[in-house]
Amino acid sequence: MVNVHKRRRFMALVALTAASGIALSACSSDAEGEADPTGSASGEESSEGEAASGEDVTLDFAFWGNDVRADMYAQSIDLFEEQYPNITVNETFLGFPEFWEKRQTEAAGGGLPDVMQFDYSYLRQYSQNGLLLDLGPYLGSEINTDGLTEQILGIGVVDGVTTGIATSTNAWGMYTNPKLLDEAGVAEFGGGTWDEYSEWIGEVTAASGDDVYGGGDYTGRIQNFEVQLRAEGKNLFNEDGTPGFDEARLTEFWESGSELRGENNIGISQQKLEEIYPISGFGGGFTASELTWDNFGAGYLGELGESYTELGLIEPPVTVEGAKDLYQKPSMLHTISANTEHPAESAMLVDFLINSPEVGAIFGTNRGLPASQSMRDGITFEGMDAQILEYEESIADRLGDAPPVPLVGYGTLEEKFRVLGTELGFGTVTVEDAVSQFFAEMDVVLNS
Amino acid sequence: MVTSTVNRVDDATDQQRASASPRDPKGLTRKQRHWRENIAGYGFLTPWLVGFFGLTLVPMLYSLYLSFTRYNLFSPPEWIGFDNYIRMFTEDPNYTQSVKITLIYVLVGTPIKLAAALGVAMLLNYRDRGAGFFRSSFYAPSLIGASVSVAIVWRAMFSTDGPVDNSLSFFGLEIGGWVGNVALVVPMMILLAVWQFGAPMVIFLAGLKQVPRELYEAADMDGAGPVKKFRSITLPMLSSVVFFNLLLELIGAFQVFSSAYIISNGSGGPAGMTNFYTLYLYKRAFSDGQMGYASAMAWTLVIVVAIIAFVLFRTSKMWVHYQGDNR
Repeated sequence: MVNVHKRRRFMALVALTAASGIALSACSSDAEGEADPTGSASGEESSEGEAASGEDVTLDFAFWGNDVRADMYAQSIDLFEEQYPNITVNETFLGFPEFWEKRQTEAAGGGLPDVMQFDYSYLRQYSQNGLLLDLGPYLGSEINTDGLTEQILGIGVVDGVTTGIATSTNAWGMYTNPKLLDEAGVAEFGGGTWDEYSEWIGEVTAASGDDVYGGGDYTGRIQNFEVQLRAEGKNLFNEDGTPGFDEARLTEFWESGSELRGENNIGISQQKLEEIYPISGFGGGFTASELTWDNFGAGYLGELGESYTELGLIEPPVTVEGAKDLYQKPSMLHTISANTEHPAESAMLVDFLINSPEVGAIFGTNRGLPASQSMRDGITFEGMDAQILEYEESIADRLGDAPPVPLVGYGTLEEKFRVLGTELGFGTVTVEDAVSQFFAEMDVVLNS
Repeated sequence: MVTSTVNRVDDATDQQRASASPRDPKGLTRKQRHWRENIAGYGFLTPWLVGFFGLTLVPMLYSLYLSFTRYNLFSPPEWIGFDNYIRMFTEDPNYTQSVKITLIYVLVGTPIKLAAALGVAMLLNYRDRGAGFFRSSFYAPSLIGASVSVAIVWRAMFSTDGPVDNSLSFFGLEIGGWVGNVALVVPMMILLAVWQFGAPMVIFLAGLKQVPRELYEAADMDGAGPVKKFRSITLPMLSSVVFFNLLLELIGAFQVFSSAYIISNGSGGPAGMTNFYTLYLYKRAFSDGQMGYASAMAWTLVIVVAIIAFVLFRTSKMWVHYQGDNR
């Protein structure tokens, strides 16, 4: 009997230990960052690190991208850690949609990473909810602003507070595939209206063999709609969140693409696009042209493979002659979580990633055309990088002011627009239904 | 619910011991012993209890509350009554579409999957040599079926110029890829589900082994053919297993997610044809940040599945036969 009791007591002890062990291990992970004061004092701080405490600090840094970009960040962060030996940076990366799914849940739980690569379309939402650090106090100290223009700095301002710094900018453009055009024996699109562009697509498709098309249904992209609206002096969405278009205008837009989709085989079929997604028709070598952001060039070259060394990069079709319909968009920004325990060190990392010429040399135009002059100085522009620089200079006449910071929920609407475009391509929805579905979705997003 | 069971068990053992020896050697009173045992019991249960309350019950009840709110993860939830449910049933064509394809998937896929499982189980039941090998090979797809890699392979197989397209072209069927084809992507998803018939097959096989040989021998004597034997002996004797499998597979099919997510790259395409219920729910919750709406969708699914299970249990009395049951 005694043994039985001893055993029972022992078992109770085991159970309690096990249970408390689980509870403890659940709390411990948070504490690590600050719990290590060793090596805090003297000697190690570099000359630029005075504003920060100089203690050993670990920062979390998250970005979206692919292996190529991850490697670029890894190299850049090695350089950063060399310069600031007391700072360790943990990087994590995901694909774009997953990146935002993860941030949404982290934001709700108050656990955003210290430093983030950030997208313009989420800047307003995160800023207005107080999730991003006010960078104002760090501008001109930890974050050097000498190489950044007023216009660039203005991009990251929401309601008068700077919460993001643009790493780089890009502009809407049209990529063309010289090899496919050569095979088809059709000259590159020489500029013109959207209708003329559609005609040109038809010509290329007719002159090409199987499975090669002049282009696709460009009305599936909300950016093309925005370019047309801007040419008419309107915005896609105004500062107050109201749309700059009505049902009739959207109907007209979607109907203008009708000959490019469906059975008439002028543009690439939706079925083909669906199979190669997330690679686009252009990246897969099936279409000779695609309208997109101009920093996609290097990615396209990678997807198209070794037989490609160059691509064409030209202006999008013209809606209204002389209109300022294009603009420079921040291709991405850097932001700092409002909850960070190390704001100064985080700001130093942001400064490094935005201004350092060495980082510029590593990235080239992977993130777009660098916003900071000092970073540009680190790049020897050649090949695709030079072409993009040249392109943005060539469209100077069409560049207007940037539209208002995208409204909360813009990402949802952009995706909805894309999905409706694919359904139009399949013919599973009429233009009329697509328009009413898009306006219904806008109602939900704008009212929440 | 669970805690009360534990209490009862404790009480029972305590009373037994109390009647055998009123005071134990260490001089502890009944109350003290009782308390100590409870501590040990709850101690062992703690990890599970924490999980049950912290990760299941409380979040579930919270999501019920959220389903009546507008909640985007950032601002506090805002009470809007039944608006989410009203929007779901009257104003959201994507929801209707999602319910439609999910029902097709469940109602077509589950019977085919069960029929395939039963058929193969019966074949395996006949032969002895190599049965182990065949059982494992047929079961393997179920083990790996839910994994990401299989969905990726499936996507590649059914694309234009993929193995399936090429084999069909060989026979003169030029239908191209299935993945991007609005009409064929749902049948492809059903095929993927049916292919994973291993789990119900193993259960059927175990059930078949339980059917007494004498029944078949007696039927042979009476001159019954294979069809008659199947209908009059195998099916009734297996009905409880059929019921079990049907319930499990129906509930599982309603929750199809990962294969659709991978095959459509999370988009639910082409044209929303793989936008199954849980995938749409997930997108609403985590891509669009409409947590309230997603919670309402989740609760609707829970209620519908509960009703289906309830109806199945009710009707089971009419067609499920338990051995040794005289009804």
